[in-house]
Amino acid sequence: MSQVNAMSTAYRPAPGMVSWIMKNASTLFGKSIGYCLLTFIIFLPIFWVGTTAFKNSVDAYSLNVFFKPTLDNFIDIFSEPGSFFPLLKNSIIVASSTVLVTIPLALLCAYGFSRFHILGEKTLLIWVLSTQFIPPVVIVIPFYTFFRSIRMLDSLTGLVIINLSFSLPFAIWLLKGFVDGLPRATEEAAVIDGCNLFQLLRHVVLPLSMPGIITAAVFTFIQSWNEFLFALILTNTKATTMTIGLIGAATGQEGVQWEILSAAGFVVMVPMFVLAYSIREYFVQGLTMGSEK
Amino acid sequence: MQSKSVTKYILLLPALLVLAATTIYPFFSALILSFRYWRMNKSPVPGKFVGFDNYLRAFSDPNFWNSMVVTLRFTLISVLLTILLALVMAIFLRQNNRANYFFRTLLILPFAMAPVLKGYTWKFMLNDFYGIYDFIIDHLLPFAADINWLGDPFWAQFWLAMTEVWGWAPYIALVFIGALSVIPQETLDAAEIDGCNNWQKIRHVMIPQIMPVILIMTLLKTIYSLKMFDAVVSLTGGGPGRATETLNYFVYKTGFRFFDMGYASALAWILVFIFFIFAMLYERTLMREGR
Repeated sequence: MSQVNAMSTAYRPAPGMVSWIMKNASTLFGKSIGYCLLTFIIFLPIFWVGTTAFKNSVDAYSLNVFFKPTLDNFIDIFSEPGSFFPLLKNSIIVASSTVLVTIPLALLCAYGFSRFHILGEKTLLIWVLSTQFIPPVVIVIPFYTFFRSIRMLDSLTGLVIINLSFSLPFAIWLLKGFVDGLPRATEEAAVIDGCNLFQLLRHVVLPLSMPGIITAAVFTFIQSWNEFLFALILTNTKATTMTIGLIGAATGQEGVQWEILSAAGFVVMVPMFVLAYSIREYFVQGLTMGSEK
Repeated sequence: MQSKSVTKYILLLPALLVLAATTIYPFFSALILSFRYWRMNKSPVPGKFVGFDNYLRAFSDPNFWNSMVVTLRFTLISVLLTILLALVMAIFLRQNNRANYFFRTLLILPFAMAPVLKGYTWKFMLNDFYGIYDFIIDHLLPFAADINWLGDPFWAQFWLAMTEVWGWAPYIALVFIGALSVIPQETLDAAEIDGCNNWQKIRHVMIPQIMPVILIMTLLKTIYSLKMFDAVVSLTGGGPGRATETLNYFVYKTGFRFFDMGYASALAWILVFIFFIFAMLYERTLMREGR
């Protein structure tokens, strides 16, 4: 906070405001243009989908920014036939199940790597890191043929299993980085007090790791929710998720109905914005796993 | 805590077993498939082993070479523009003041948007009749009014790269801001005393200081660009013609539209090989610079 104050004083137009403005006019002007451009570039696509979702089918094809908002598109996508409701349910189930399987496994693994001397530790960690470099399309081919032979295509369980291929390495690295930073003194005290490993994990490590766990959980949720390739190939009707539903909305009988697609897009993107915002402090650690300390 | 020699492996085992099953198994299973003939629409089980036939077929397949060129070109454009734009944003937002905190928060949004939705969003905004981008560009650059953005091979590739740049540059800018913030203020002050103007400060002090981070992010972004798939489906569908058919998309089409599983696996393994080169570079750089 002190940094913020120190910096804002540098910008405070103290005495002689007019002369200050004159002197800094070009900088101020440049800055304002920069901020406008930045907002425009980043925000326009989000704003456009966000507003089109509330337009009627006439306004959607005009460039009007002022229009009478309507909820019809949302009513439309959540009513039969072709309701998005089952898809939304599938997306929620797949993303939360992926989180629920990933986090406990990854936390145990991260703790093991962080606190114990493991035979071949470095090799194992590099292997975990390397799995993210396997192109997803390579993973999906054998899973498709395998699921096909055991009749598990188009199942939510299958989707969760294959999602683990990207969520686990990511969560292990993120949590390992986090656990590495926790002080060991508390754990040692707990061991002296007679805690066994299970009690130690449950009553000491778990509560202390909560911020890391939440960050990993939110990231995993966002990635599974936005996942497209696996769902496209492995699901068909019963287990399709929201991202696949977008294709359906985009290939209607009368071409693309953009207001309908935008409403579906709104449902896909807004919850993820809220989640991403909730972990904004930790956001950068996210996908650069292993590359920063 | 060193004595529990078995317990510590039990902690690792579940995660590593699941990871092995979801990555190593398909990895090698695809390798074996790549040596077999298998038209999945004709036979439910893989056919005979054909040696390197599937790989040889790839090297004489013009569509394969097309997808290689498209992939490399897309990767080059999107990585360069992403890193460049991220640097500009990071330098612009590097100072810690309230406005910059607010704008940095905005930077996390594009990343959270589903890539497939990004593709549809751009397709909508580039539409010739009611697209907002098309409208803006036509008014700023009247000579571009006749261009059908996604119907033209060059522009389709360009916009595909731009959706990727939009999604990634803000995120990488945040990483760069983090790196810039650890440059000691004295270093910058010293440069100023030596008579550096702002541009020289950026060029000769800031960029060299964060070079290791730039290098790492460039490699990481290259790997993610090579993986890019979702927006191809939603923005261009590989078209016009095969102008935006990346290797990923070509594998998908071969395997899941034409059900030529042996050939698709061989193509996928060529992709693995390309990844391998960049992954090696990435890990080397990480070991040298990151720690």
